[in-house]
Amino acid sequence: MLFANNPRMNEFEAAALPHLNDIYRTAARVLGDRTRADDVLQDVYLQAWKSFDKFETGTNCRAWLFKILFHTINHYRRKWLNIRMVKESQEILQTAAAADPPVPEHITDQDLLAALNQVPQDFRSAVLLVDVEEFSYKDASAILGVPIGTVMSRLSRGRKLLRERLAEMARQYGILHDPKEGRSA
Amino acid sequence: MNRPKFGESACEKTRRYMDAYLSNELLVETTHDLLQHLESCPECTAELEARTRLRSRLKAAVKAQTAPPHLPVLVRDKLRNSQRGRWRFYAVPVAAMLVLAAVIWVRPIAGPLPGIADRAAQATYIQRVSATVAQVFRPGLCDHIHCAFFRVYPQTPPDIHEMEAKLGEEYKALLPLVGPAVPEGYRVVLAHQCTYAGRRFIHLTMRKGSDVISLVVTRKNPDETFRALSPAAGAAGVPIYQASAANYQIAGFESDGYLAFIVSDLTGAANLHIAAALAPAVRQLLS
Repeated sequence: MLFANNPRMNEFEAAALPHLNDIYRTAARVLGDRTRADDVLQDVYLQAWKSFDKFETGTNCRAWLFKILFHTINHYRRKWLNIRMVKESQEILQTAAAADPPVPEHITDQDLLAALNQVPQDFRSAVLLVDVEEFSYKDASAILGVPIGTVMSRLSRGRKLLRERLAEMARQYGILHDPKEGRSA
Repeated sequence: MNRPKFGESACEKTRRYMDAYLSNELLVETTHDLLQHLESCPECTAELEARTRLRSRLKAAVKAQTAPPHLPVLVRDKLRNSQRGRWRFYAVPVAAMLVLAAVIWVRPIAGPLPGIADRAAQATYIQRVSATVAQVFRPGLCDHIHCAFFRVYPQTPPDIHEMEAKLGEEYKALLPLVGPAVPEGYRVVLAHQCTYAGRRFIHLTMRKGSDVISLVVTRKNPDETFRALSPAAGAAGVPIYQASAANYQIAGFESDGYLAFIVSDLTGAANLHIAAALAPAVRQLLS
């Protein structure tokens, strides 16, 4: 109660708390674990508050929080050690220009999220930042701390893997027939 | 980004640049070339539509997930605790001086706050604090301190259905009323029927960090009324009465069969404002 009306704290809460849902759901999707997302989110806000003096009012608070989020995730990732890192060789794989398998129409949101969870974490992060949170390549590059070219390759690979996983799921459910099977029949 | 030359292998190039086009990251000239190809290629157009649909569906599916309701409260708690940590170094001597001044100059009314497990000390504390307000305010104040204040809150607050079930059919309509009446940032963390000193209460608790607001409702005992007092405000013809004890502000109003209280550690005016926002609808519901 003694500190309840600290104007700097009020300023921080007004700037940062409206983005709590965005930060939480990205953390939950990247980590694939809501409990860990809870912990990470609390750390993100604590870190953000500690460095709020360095934050320039009027700049993009949302991008700043996402940057702290990915910094925190990387910290946790080293701590947990069980989350697979993507090797650079995988990153620079050229996306095949051949037509992708068609994405089935009758797929549920749950299927979509399950397919997204199967995409390696670094690729998934790029997809979440650009396709879901609508950051520009430049912002995503600053948030992830990687060059724009890496964001583009991760994004391209992530989207392609997502489409492939969905098509695979659809084949398992019998919604979509394997084109090879079709040809051989 | 270099401008690709569309022409030979145009489908291959279009698909390679399709994702950047969807992210609005292509140069104007490249976008023009890509769109020109799309006009004459139904396969690539279909592919673009499929990717656009997938992107929108993915966005909607991910955005449908929201943070659990307890999380903003936890975050605020952590922030405020960390803030206290920052100030601890110099707050200790200042606090010591304030305590000393209070001991010397102020007659202690409430005394120290008892521990969460010390029921006997809690009862004494409640009795001491409530003794300073008119009898009719005491049920609301006592139940607030007993039920909302001396409580360890679950990490995950019950969901809306659980709260409705605990309030029962008769009172569950109180839930949607409280949200718009309390200041921004407060969330309902508890809603149930409870008993204190043999009396039944309907109790809704809203929290923002360590700050707590209660709406407490109880059936009137015979001759129990605020009418002997002077109202502090009125809302749509409902007189609202006010009192304070220690750090607590109490605002009360009544219907034919019920007494209702807003109790909080806000300022008196803020507490009265919440009571005024709620009184007409709550009274109608209880009538």
